[in-house]
Amino acid sequence: MKFKIYRFNPDVDAKPYTQEYDVDVQPGMMLLAALLKIKDEQDETLSFRRSCGEGVCGSDGMNINGTNGLACVTPVAELKQPVEINPLPGIPVIRDLIVDMEQFYQNYRDVKPYLIVNDPMPEVELPQTPEQRERLDGLYECILCACCSTQCPSFWWNPDKFMGPAALLQASRFIEDSRDQATAERLADLEGPFKLFRCHTIMNCVEVCPKGLNPTKAIGNIKKRMVARTL
Amino acid sequence: MSLTILEGLRPWLIQRVTAVVIAVYLLYVVVSLLFAGPADYLAWRGWLHAPLNSLLMGLFILSILFHAWIGMRDVVLDYVNNVMLRLFVFSVIVVVLLTSGLWALRVLLSPL
Repeated sequence: MKFKIYRFNPDVDAKPYTQEYDVDVQPGMMLLAALLKIKDEQDETLSFRRSCGEGVCGSDGMNINGTNGLACVTPVAELKQPVEINPLPGIPVIRDLIVDMEQFYQNYRDVKPYLIVNDPMPEVELPQTPEQRERLDGLYECILCACCSTQCPSFWWNPDKFMGPAALLQASRFIEDSRDQATAERLADLEGPFKLFRCHTIMNCVEVCPKGLNPTKAIGNIKKRMVARTL
Repeated sequence: MSLTILEGLRPWLIQRVTAVVIAVYLLYVVVSLLFAGPADYLAWRGWLHAPLNSLLMGLFILSILFHAWIGMRDVVLDYVNNVMLRLFVFSVIVVVLLTSGLWALRVLLSPL
């Protein structure tokens, strides 16, 4: 199977180039296994991140034939040849398929992704009804692989001002949480022309999310809550 | 309170409300012209000068102006990163929209 992979080592290369590899693939093989095979047998300088290898850690997000996805859960059999592999688009490349995620994490930090409780903490847990807990489904499962945000044109144009789908999904996760006591502040924080409202419901995020989540819907729910609070 | 002249929620809401106004008005115009279309230019002017039609047309144009401003504003915020250039493009858009609005007002208020 033929692969065309983005290569760039800032210590050596003046500019990025594409390198071709030919790999013997086995039935049922995932893309990550093919990349590891290249690294083991053909070219140990090929660099990429990976960890769990089963779509849980979110380390091996990359652009596969133009669409972001996790290499470890992408079967090579489903890919058109030659398979073009690029780093996640729109953020700086450190080396080969390894990207600088700082902006992405900064936006994540900005939405205060933790419960804010002003009342004295109870001795026991903060209980939720099953219905309250259900509201977090489709929000808490995000693994922060950055596939969605780096496939979003609005994030490409304004990565430092628009939070991006991943961070907004997390904002929604805490806005919807019955135990959180900072809902008003969270909603007020997202006001302004950029942070949330650069989303034009392009829905690339929904298209590429390897966990099947729907950031566009989460963003819509935040807007609804803003409207409900204002009107 | 953040330091920003431009807002997020209000324009977004206005854009949606004006979209509904525009859609409903267009439907009204198409239906009324289809079933009781004026025969000639004078009759058409008469139709437009009926108080209700004149008022609705004014509301429609106002909605278009707001809708266009917010839409163009969004495009500029997306693609024009240089602040001075952005200010310039904003000014051009505002001048064009205001001129169009005043022109439309003049037409609507002109005697039959």
